[in-house]
Amino acid sequence: MAELTYREAVAEAIAQEMRRDENVVFLGEDIGAAGGVFKATVGLFKEFGPERVRDTPISEQAILGAAMGSAMTGLRPIAEIMFSDFLAVCWDLVANEIAKARYMTGGQMSMPLVIRTANGGGSRFGAQHSQSVENWAMMVPGLKVVAPSSPADVKGLLAAAIRDPDPVMFFEQKSLYPVKGFVPDGELVDELGTAKVLRDGGDVTIVALAAMVPRAMKAAEELSDKHGIQATVVDVRSLVPLDTQTILREVTKTGRLVTVEENPRLCGWGAEIASIVADEIFWDLDGPIIRITTPHIPLPAADALEDATMPSAERIVREIVEKID
Amino acid sequence: MATKPRAAAKGKTPAKARAKAAPKRAAKAGTALANDDIGEDTRLAIWRSLLEIRHVEQRAYDLFLQNLIKGTSHLALGHEAVAAGFATAMQKDDWSFCTYRGHHHTLARGASMEGVLGELMGRECGLLQGKGGSMHLTSVEHGAMGSYAIIGAHLPIAMGAAWTAQYKKTGQVSVCFFGDGTTNIGAFHEALNMAAVWKLPVVFVCENNLYMEYTPIHDVTAVHNPAGDRAASYGLPKIVIDGNDADEVYRTAQTAFAKARAGDGPSLIECLTYRHSGHSRADPGDYRPPGELEAWLKKDPVPRYRERLAEFGISKDVIDGMDAEVLAQVDEATEISKASPPPGLELIDVDVWADGGTAWRN
Amino acid sequence: MDVIMPQLGETVSEGTVSVWHKSIGDAVSTKEPLFDVSSDKVEMEVPAPAEGTLLEIRVDAGTTVPVGEVVAIIVREGEVIEAKAAAPAAVRAEAEIAKADVAAVRSQSVKAANRDANGNPLSPAVRRLVAEHGLEPTAIAGSGLKGRIKKKDVLAYLESGATRAPGRRIPAPPLSYSADDTEVIPFNKLRKLTAEHMVRSKATSPHVLQAVEADFARVARARTGISAAWKKREGFSLTYLPFIAKAVCEAIRDFPRVNGAIDGENLVVFRRVNLGIAVDLDFDGLVAPVIKDADGMTLQELARAIRDVSERARTNQLKPDDFTEGTYTISNSGVFGTMITAPIINQPQVAILSTDGITKKPVVIETDEGDTIGIRPVGVLAQSFDHRAIDGAYSAAFLNRVREILQTKDWTAVLS
Repeated sequence: MAELTYREAVAEAIAQEMRRDENVVFLGEDIGAAGGVFKATVGLFKEFGPERVRDTPISEQAILGAAMGSAMTGLRPIAEIMFSDFLAVCWDLVANEIAKARYMTGGQMSMPLVIRTANGGGSRFGAQHSQSVENWAMMVPGLKVVAPSSPADVKGLLAAAIRDPDPVMFFEQKSLYPVKGFVPDGELVDELGTAKVLRDGGDVTIVALAAMVPRAMKAAEELSDKHGIQATVVDVRSLVPLDTQTILREVTKTGRLVTVEENPRLCGWGAEIASIVADEIFWDLDGPIIRITTPHIPLPAADALEDATMPSAERIVREIVEKID
Repeated sequence: MATKPRAAAKGKTPAKARAKAAPKRAAKAGTALANDDIGEDTRLAIWRSLLEIRHVEQRAYDLFLQNLIKGTSHLALGHEAVAAGFATAMQKDDWSFCTYRGHHHTLARGASMEGVLGELMGRECGLLQGKGGSMHLTSVEHGAMGSYAIIGAHLPIAMGAAWTAQYKKTGQVSVCFFGDGTTNIGAFHEALNMAAVWKLPVVFVCENNLYMEYTPIHDVTAVHNPAGDRAASYGLPKIVIDGNDADEVYRTAQTAFAKARAGDGPSLIECLTYRHSGHSRADPGDYRPPGELEAWLKKDPVPRYRERLAEFGISKDVIDGMDAEVLAQVDEATEISKASPPPGLELIDVDVWADGGTAWRN
Repeated sequence: MDVIMPQLGETVSEGTVSVWHKSIGDAVSTKEPLFDVSSDKVEMEVPAPAEGTLLEIRVDAGTTVPVGEVVAIIVREGEVIEAKAAAPAAVRAEAEIAKADVAAVRSQSVKAANRDANGNPLSPAVRRLVAEHGLEPTAIAGSGLKGRIKKKDVLAYLESGATRAPGRRIPAPPLSYSADDTEVIPFNKLRKLTAEHMVRSKATSPHVLQAVEADFARVARARTGISAAWKKREGFSLTYLPFIAKAVCEAIRDFPRVNGAIDGENLVVFRRVNLGIAVDLDFDGLVAPVIKDADGMTLQELARAIRDVSERARTNQLKPDDFTEGTYTISNSGVFGTMITAPIINQPQVAILSTDGITKKPVVIETDEGDTIGIRPVGVLAQSFDHRAIDGAYSAAFLNRVREILQTKDWTAVLS
């Protein structure tokens, strides 16, 4: 076991896979010599050199096009899009090309690539550098979508993503980069499409993703200590494929579902979960489903405003105390 | 001169291999053939390719009028020389990328006619099993790595394939075909720049047919030669050629491929050509000035090459014989496609993922 | 006029109200501090922006708000305050979307059968358990918000082995009939409600029917005596019903347990007697409006009250308040000369009385000289009672008392 930060786990996962398979290559802006603007890829350039770790111009469409073209001809590229907001600049490649090539060509094209990107708010970067857009990717058929909440999950899930034969969008939450956690030693490969139950409780099931997971855990502790409410916390980890069985099982046990989503309200990932729950285990619901989300506004920049806008542990506690009886 | 019999309908031996396998003909002193760098066999391969494209596209036109081809089709009538010239110069393991106006490039790489016609008619025998349609013709086994419907998207993708060749040091080349309108979209700039910086083995070929959909290209482009005049922005030489002369296309392709394989980076080639029909089946082409079409029809690459072959001493029998042969093959392919049933409904729910499935949940 | 949190410094974005120097109603002025403000850079006294009176304090001492937010309202002399919406908080939590209104709309459409005893709609999990086990939701205690039933309450109820409502509401198989032979009359709203209530009542209370036959001679004499004068004075006839109602109220004093409701394993006995009077609406439905504190009324007042609720029932002028807090119900079918009726208890009460036809019958009259036969106006009083609340003996004793009052009270004196 080693204690790693979330950002160190990124570099370790990529290094692990690049050592293992010489077809794994990595490209993006400032990822090589500079080790990444978030310092999440430090050391890779030194170990693997400029042929395998390539710094690109500011050309998001070219970055993803290069990833797609190389993936369909035998390489296993990892492409970094620096801020997930910038996916909007190259969304054609993501949604129209990469996601659809295999299907449209009757199964001829292969697309074993990973797009990793720094997602989410909490860093005071303002509305265009703080969005949580994993829900955009969830909506496009043909993309696998992962958003880990801890260093161990980063390492294991990124390794799994790199080994996956399909295109994987890997959303790293930038506010979590400095967070430390224990990561098992040695080769680590997790499984996409699996959720994890982090905490058990009988009164309410909280389903959260990425940066919202630590907040949900903090809220669960306070709910138990101060309010006698015992919460189960489920970390979704993968939006596609979605581990619906775990979610349905855990919500059935308590009869109450609360989602905690960093996305703005409309069509956040939790809306789909709420829909599946209301469809498939309606008769096990003991009360209305509650979604705790960022309001449907661009994220304000000032720290006081940003903190008050994103779902906080305090707000999770407050909503649950008010609405879960 | 007897030609080698055409191989079985599905797939064909590429031009170079056929040229190599054919018995060398002793050059008659004094004839044009004697001093030629291209040679008869390659020319006949080019001729066959031109005929295949011309006849298939004409057939597609007819089938559309018979309402057997649904949706829309972007025909390449008039563009044959660009496809035939480049494809003949390519190696079997080179990769090509083209746009939604890509039937000619896909055929030229060796995809079967019934695969192409079948896909246009939405049949089971289609190259894509009916899943993609006219705008996405792909045959990975022939190195035809897709036809792309979003303008400019495939330029960086083609550049990515070149990266594989560079990384693995295979000597493969990636060839990317696009229209004049593409030179104005952002992805063009990004792909050219990065290909030049990384010195990737990719050849960008602009089929400048003077019209961006319904608009004259000059009305919307800041420079006269939409590709040629931008090459300097990427440190590349300006190359503008007669896209309707298959020999010129072939020679230019060879030069570009040699440069790429030697590790000297990308090329940007503008081929001047013209399309005989409208932008798509829905377009009768009324925006073209009177007389323009007629003038270009005089430069029609197919009759022009017929004359070229005659100039080089190839007999009319051979030339016409190949024409008749290809037409018969197109007829056969048409019948095969017509007889092929629509794709089974079970195909709807396959091939999103590598495991063949479409599941997003457990 | 708004009083706002002042800008305390260039890079300061918020401030804390540390203390209010004035209370609501006090005079305020620009020359004295109204409140103190602190931020991590500055401590400051803030005077009122104008002369006037402090009308409202929006932000309590100790609270931090952004610069520019309204912290109080003052009224200047001659100023008229418009009702302004309160300045939005820095964050509008998702919950503030008018969920309360939506919830109210939603829950109005929930049928009575899918609500618990406190009127809360049942959750899906609870409904499922109720259906699976054939339970009566109004019998289950709820531990949730506003007394709503949670799934665990149902599970606890099942485990406790509490009496279950016998027989689940099993829907009958669909009828088949030819359109030519039938007239189909759809249930109106009242009929639907009545149907639901009646089924539920029978499923909840184990009904026992008990009857006594009462001799109405004294009542009849008193009634006939005053009949014309009454009619002239009051504008309506004096029927037997007010007499019966009076007797019932008095008998309840001696036998209060018929005037109650079941709550779990308790019989709740009501101190007030709020008498429900069943009124038929021209064969188009049955309602039972309540006369509150009937036991405190005189016979005449009772008669008028009965008349009032009947009239208002027939002219559709009853209010929701007319249906609340009933404790005992009288159903007067006797108008049509019935012999006996077994009424259905008006939930959540534990008993209901049916007064049937009063007709002249030969009866045995005991005198000191021996038994003779006489002709007397006789009628059956039939009570349905909930056997969970009381037993036959108690019910019988109550009925006996009612009869006794009817037969022995000096009704003539009462009416004069």
